[in-house]
Amino acid sequence: MTIFLKKFAPKRLRELVLKMAFNGQAVHIGCAFSIVEILAVLYRRFLKYPDNDPNSKNRDFLVLSKGHGVMAQYACLHELGWVSDEMIANYFADGSILNGLSDSRIAGLEVTSGSLGHGFSVGVGIAYGLTRLNKSQKVYVLVGDGELNEGAIWEGAMFASHHKLSNLIVIVDENSFQAMGETENILNLGSTSRKFESFGFEVKEVDGHNESQIENTISKIIEENNPLPKVIIAKTVKGKGVNFMEGDNKWHYTRLNDKTYKDALDYLNSSVL
Amino acid sequence: MRDALSKILVRHGVSDSSVIVLTGDHGYELFDSFRSQCPEQFINAGIAEQNMIGMAAGMAKIGFRPYIYGLSAFIPMRVLEQIKIDLAHDALPAILIGDGAGLVYSHLGSSHQCTEDIAATRAIPNLEIYSPCDSRELDLCFSSARESKTTAYIRIGKADRGEVHSNDIHNWKKGDLIKVADADEEANAVGTLKLAFIATGSMVRTALNLKINSFTGAEVWSVPTLKPINRDQILAISEKIRTFVVLEEHSVFGGLGSIVAEILSESGRSNVLRIGIQDRFSEKCGSYEYLLKEHQLDENSISIKIYRFTSTTA
Repeated sequence: MTIFLKKFAPKRLRELVLKMAFNGQAVHIGCAFSIVEILAVLYRRFLKYPDNDPNSKNRDFLVLSKGHGVMAQYACLHELGWVSDEMIANYFADGSILNGLSDSRIAGLEVTSGSLGHGFSVGVGIAYGLTRLNKSQKVYVLVGDGELNEGAIWEGAMFASHHKLSNLIVIVDENSFQAMGETENILNLGSTSRKFESFGFEVKEVDGHNESQIENTISKIIEENNPLPKVIIAKTVKGKGVNFMEGDNKWHYTRLNDKTYKDALDYLNSSVL
Repeated sequence: MRDALSKILVRHGVSDSSVIVLTGDHGYELFDSFRSQCPEQFINAGIAEQNMIGMAAGMAKIGFRPYIYGLSAFIPMRVLEQIKIDLAHDALPAILIGDGAGLVYSHLGSSHQCTEDIAATRAIPNLEIYSPCDSRELDLCFSSARESKTTAYIRIGKADRGEVHSNDIHNWKKGDLIKVADADEEANAVGTLKLAFIATGSMVRTALNLKINSFTGAEVWSVPTLKPINRDQILAISEKIRTFVVLEEHSVFGGLGSIVAEILSESGRSNVLRIGIQDRFSEKCGSYEYLLKEHQLDENSISIKIYRFTSTTA
């Protein structure tokens, strides 16, 4: 058994995702794997939950707008002690409470999402409200690049920009895929950075699997505190971490069997990631 | 009623700084007083209703009380899913104000007319539905929604049909029907139709007129809350009266007519005539009164329907 010195170690998080996906015969593994490092950095370094209370009024907010990646967030909540071993073991069992998409009734999850384009606006509302209350907490909204198809995202972007919501930090998980294929072949957005720039955001690009790069970028934009909403375009790989899942969109839908589960765990354990 | 709405918003806003009025660029002049008295509590969110609902949910999550205004064709219709997922799912205490419901925008056509909102919102859990008939009920509905621990939709229809209630309403509980007219004394005379008019919003005035002019043996009830609704009260009325005529400026599918019919189907005692929009869009342009006629919601057309109905069910 590997011993992880670091909390929210990506390999550990992916292992938990695989466990859940196998136990529950759940899909969306690829969607969860592309955001593991982003979540790891946010939880380890930036998100503050006073008294380890997921409902603290003074917490930072992480809104998982791309609800399909929720298994990666459950893995983080497990590290925080808010999701138990039993909940991981019984994922998708009859009468269990962790759904396959983000559900705000779970402590630690801010929104009910999976219907896409919702969390972005809710995050904008939280950021706007906090600004009005002169509160210093940050609002992180994690959206998928496929999710950017939704018109509501751009409505929210206009509002955030018009009201200069500098406490809003949007992170785009740009894994270049959506449910039915490659984003550029479905509704080609062109440059995501330029789109957000033109909407009035401060834009940064990072390698979404490079933890130190993600960390440094977020630190820097918080430190500089420009009076603009921020967006970080994280270039990611769908299915990242397991060789036969990386860049293969079928792991949006495919369930693990005994063999693929074992192969995936073996690969994960042998990798340095 | 529009003036009353403006005053209510000001009163709520002044007494509670967490009240935030949001509009999707609708409500010209309606917010003048509110904006001058509570300038920090007003947001024009732009013609971007989906984002407005999500944002309102975000604000409600951190303690604000959003009052979200729009035409009912847009709030709730355009943003039904945002209402379901962002607000109602978490029972967030936001108030949705859908103005101009029914055929109010008679000259503007189907995009601005709204006769399906009750049916569409009724099936959403944690969502209360109000439908006031005059300014006193409007006040009542806002007070009730304000005290509610969940999301509320207040449907406001034709606003200039005059006051139904001449006195303040006392001892009202959420869900209660309000009797606005009793059957006349001679109602027991042979040949007088014994009816219960159950009406909501603009159609309460119509029901009252029908009672006064043609159906003196009818009692008239106004229904300011469509959800929740006091079932026992409706069942109690059905113990005395066999014929219910339900009136609403809404489709006969899924609105008040359906609600009453569902409740009475359990008693098996009464006949229900549902008066409303017959599953069709407006065909022509014209005045509000013209469109009521087109949809057979004018008093004459309704009278004919009642006579026809009672002659076959009596």
